[in-house]
Amino acid sequence: MTHALTDAWRHRVFYLFALPFAALTIVFGLWPIVLSVQVSMTQSATALRPDPVWVGFANYARVLADPLFVASLGRTLLYTVLAVAANLAFALAFATLLDSTVLRRFNMVFRLAVFLPVVTPDVAGFVVWRWLYDRSFGAVNAALAAVGVPPFGGIASPDTVMWAILVAEMWNHSGFYIVIFLANLAIRDKALEEAAAIDGASAWQRWRHVILPQLRPALVINGVYALIQFLKTFTVVVVMTKGGPSGSTNFVSYYAYQMFDQGRYGEATAMATILFAVVIVISVTAYRLGERGDHR
Amino acid sequence: MARIRDALIGALAIGALSAGTPAAAQQLTVWHDLGDTGIAWFQRMSDEFAKTKPGVTVRSLSFPTDQWFGRVIGAINTGSPPDLIFNNYERVIRIQAQTGKVMDLKPVLDRIADKGFLGEDDLRVATYDGKMIILPVQRVQMAMGVRQSWLDKTGETFPQTWEDVRRIAAKFRDSDPDGNGRADTFGMALQAAKPRDLIHMLDLFTFGSGLRNTLIDPQGNITIDRPEHAEVLEEFLKTYTSYRFLPPDTINHSFNEMYQVIDGGRAGIFRVGDWNVRRWDDPKTLNGDFVSGPWPSFRGRPNSVVIGGMRGVGIPDNSPNKALAVEFATFMLGKAAQQASLEVMGAAVRKDLEVGTLSPRSQWFAKAEHRLVAYDFPESVHTWYPELEAAFHRKLLEGITSPPADWKPFIAQTAAEMRAMAQRLRGG
Amino acid sequence: MIRPVRLVWTVLAYATATLVSLIFLYPYWWMLIGAFRRTRDVLTDPLVLWPEQIEFSVFASIARVGGVELWRYAANSLAITVASTLLGVMVTALGAYALVRRPTLPGFGLLRGGFLLTIMYPYMLLVIPVYIVMYKLGLLGSYLGIVLFLALGPLQFFLFEQFFRSIPKEVIEAAIIDGASEWNVLTRVVMPMAKPVVATVALITFLLNWAQWFPILVISATPDTYTLPVALLSLNSELGSNFQGIMALAAITTLPPAILFVFAQKRVMEGMASGAVKG
Repeated sequence: MTHALTDAWRHRVFYLFALPFAALTIVFGLWPIVLSVQVSMTQSATALRPDPVWVGFANYARVLADPLFVASLGRTLLYTVLAVAANLAFALAFATLLDSTVLRRFNMVFRLAVFLPVVTPDVAGFVVWRWLYDRSFGAVNAALAAVGVPPFGGIASPDTVMWAILVAEMWNHSGFYIVIFLANLAIRDKALEEAAAIDGASAWQRWRHVILPQLRPALVINGVYALIQFLKTFTVVVVMTKGGPSGSTNFVSYYAYQMFDQGRYGEATAMATILFAVVIVISVTAYRLGERGDHR
Repeated sequence: MARIRDALIGALAIGALSAGTPAAAQQLTVWHDLGDTGIAWFQRMSDEFAKTKPGVTVRSLSFPTDQWFGRVIGAINTGSPPDLIFNNYERVIRIQAQTGKVMDLKPVLDRIADKGFLGEDDLRVATYDGKMIILPVQRVQMAMGVRQSWLDKTGETFPQTWEDVRRIAAKFRDSDPDGNGRADTFGMALQAAKPRDLIHMLDLFTFGSGLRNTLIDPQGNITIDRPEHAEVLEEFLKTYTSYRFLPPDTINHSFNEMYQVIDGGRAGIFRVGDWNVRRWDDPKTLNGDFVSGPWPSFRGRPNSVVIGGMRGVGIPDNSPNKALAVEFATFMLGKAAQQASLEVMGAAVRKDLEVGTLSPRSQWFAKAEHRLVAYDFPESVHTWYPELEAAFHRKLLEGITSPPADWKPFIAQTAAEMRAMAQRLRGG
Repeated sequence: MIRPVRLVWTVLAYATATLVSLIFLYPYWWMLIGAFRRTRDVLTDPLVLWPEQIEFSVFASIARVGGVELWRYAANSLAITVASTLLGVMVTALGAYALVRRPTLPGFGLLRGGFLLTIMYPYMLLVIPVYIVMYKLGLLGSYLGIVLFLALGPLQFFLFEQFFRSIPKEVIEAAIIDGASEWNVLTRVVMPMAKPVVATVALITFLLNWAQWFPILVISATPDTYTLPVALLSLNSELGSNFQGIMALAAITTLPPAILFVFAQKRVMEGMASGAVKG
């Protein structure tokens, strides 16, 4: 103990270095999380007062008994699964294409095109997508009509809305996943493929059995990132659907925000805490699965 | 905690960025959702107000309607509200319901001598749970608008009955009334996305056709399955579905999207509020090519234009400059402010205003020679009405997204569910 | 014999990559020409690829949004993004450096763990309690509150951590044997080496913070502290929305980061990839 303290004193300058970082982490990271849990156990109307009324887990009980919340949680999970699968599949396919020796020219232009949306303010991007999807005067349906395909319900129909926002989010995020796959592809051991080619493996066999196993790190990273990303899907809903139509995109983060906006702080933070728990369980599980695979 | 803050402020030395500009002692702030038009109106009132109160300025900020709710509720809860809030009565009710901190303006109204233009209906509308939460400043009239040139093109006149509306809406959809050679026009434009969007449209059909309640009467009885109500509701639902009069994504449309369809000249029949006229008189939108009239009549009952309540000014209990805010709220009922309201916003409550400078379409509202009927505001009688309305909205949207072959059992079942819910809400 | 097959593959690959790229770029073009086309034209002919006329009148219609001048939103965007980037780079660099140099010091493990926990919290929902924190600190509606909240980010931390780990121990030990103080080691030895990573982190932080909208919306008390993306989200009112204005404002919001990205593409893409891979 004394040793640790003298050690700490000897290196006190490092505490000084870490102080601003620690202050921001605590004040704007850990404190809000603690506060969120705390507020979730108080009555909304008194939550901001110095002497809030404590109600224990009543907000959690009310939230979990709310069929809209349960439906919202289910929808969030469904959308997350669909979005993670679609994004990773597309990103993996497109990264493989960009990495191939066939596409030597303009390669940077293609990378630029798919990555540009990642650094585009998402609000601006989704505002445009919302209009592209419009059933009456959007470009998507005008284009479909021009080639004689029946109209796409887009964000107007509960049957298609999830796919519609999924595509818009893919536009927004997949460039990030593509770049990570590309980074992983660039450091792979190419000698293995040559050996497999000499052994007579087809292009598909080489990809499936030689390249793909080497992409495990990128798959794990992208998987965890995408899970966290899509579990908290929010901006696209605010800009494009406001949770509709008929509640079919009322994801947890949006529902919680609506509660917050109505001053129902207790319920809002209870929902936030529940989603936090879900995020931690799912991402830790995903990470563990990925790690375990590594040591196989 | 203040020490941590001070330390942070000092250490990071970006004081230049902190705190914004300190508010001038004599500046009043108003939060509304009326956009640039509302800002121009408040600017005019601010100039007028300064004539009697030198040095006082009124600054108005406009938020999108859903942001306005969150902002006002949050600000009142955290003790940093604006001096005044301005919005529709039913929206101020929600503020009061969530915070309980909207000032009772009854004593203020009592001190005003010149208020004969406010009728009993107006004052009833401004009262919630025994408190007068707004001073009513604008009477909100809502008529049915029809594109004049489209009527001419199809050889029709302004529709009076529901049968007229159906016939004309079908023609507007099918016979290329804008003459651009494409089948891109809609019979009507309505909204549906949020509870108030859809139920508000039903309010107009219901009250405009001479019925008294949309969903529930003051005694708490559900009315939608009474024969004359059920007929209006069924036609209303068919308008959203099998009649195909509306843009296909109307279900996602709130007023912004609805206005987009109307502004773009794609719809033939639509709601026109007195506050819409100015925008649609503009050459960039409809260039005044529309005519207003009462909502369609059903079964020969007299039809009317609907008074959808009041817009008014409210004051948070913790308003920073309360006395001055009260003075300004009072001023908003005076002739100068009311004239500005009529000219800029197209609506007012006083009847002694100059209408000569208005467009013919605004004059039509200002003179108000048509039959008027007032909406009943169930939320002022049943405080839980918004919750019931939200459930009603969900139910109707379910019906609209997957329409039943026969609406009658749907309406009967909806009525039964609403009855059960009203019972529960009343009990709890 | 193998060439024709290869040619087919090449054509197919280029066709696919071109098509995908065009789909990714199309929304930008649509936004740009939408800013110049009249609302009615867009509503009737959404697929037109060139505006009927080039008129700048739309910029007059968005000169003020919600009672605040457009230039103020732009100035806010610039000021908030620059300030939070500078602050974030300094604070994160120092913090990551301390945590990498002396990971075993009492409390440092806890600090790193706490930071990781924070970034696991769904960001949108963190903002709700942050509203309450800002209220308690008296920072609601202040630029300071916004800047402080935007300063920290996971990608930035991981990039610095990764870089500091890559510095050979011998370099630092040599300096210390020569009698340099820790402060001198930092400013004379480490920082000069860190210039490229500082530039990368600054660039990425700038791009990410420029796009931020939700924390700014929540921490703001009035539109006076809104940035361009928040103003864009607020560009409609009870009286209707201005389609042309929305597209024009979207274009104004998008252009600065897009231009910056095109000039620094390699650094941004590599930086983001390695930051993520590390995390």
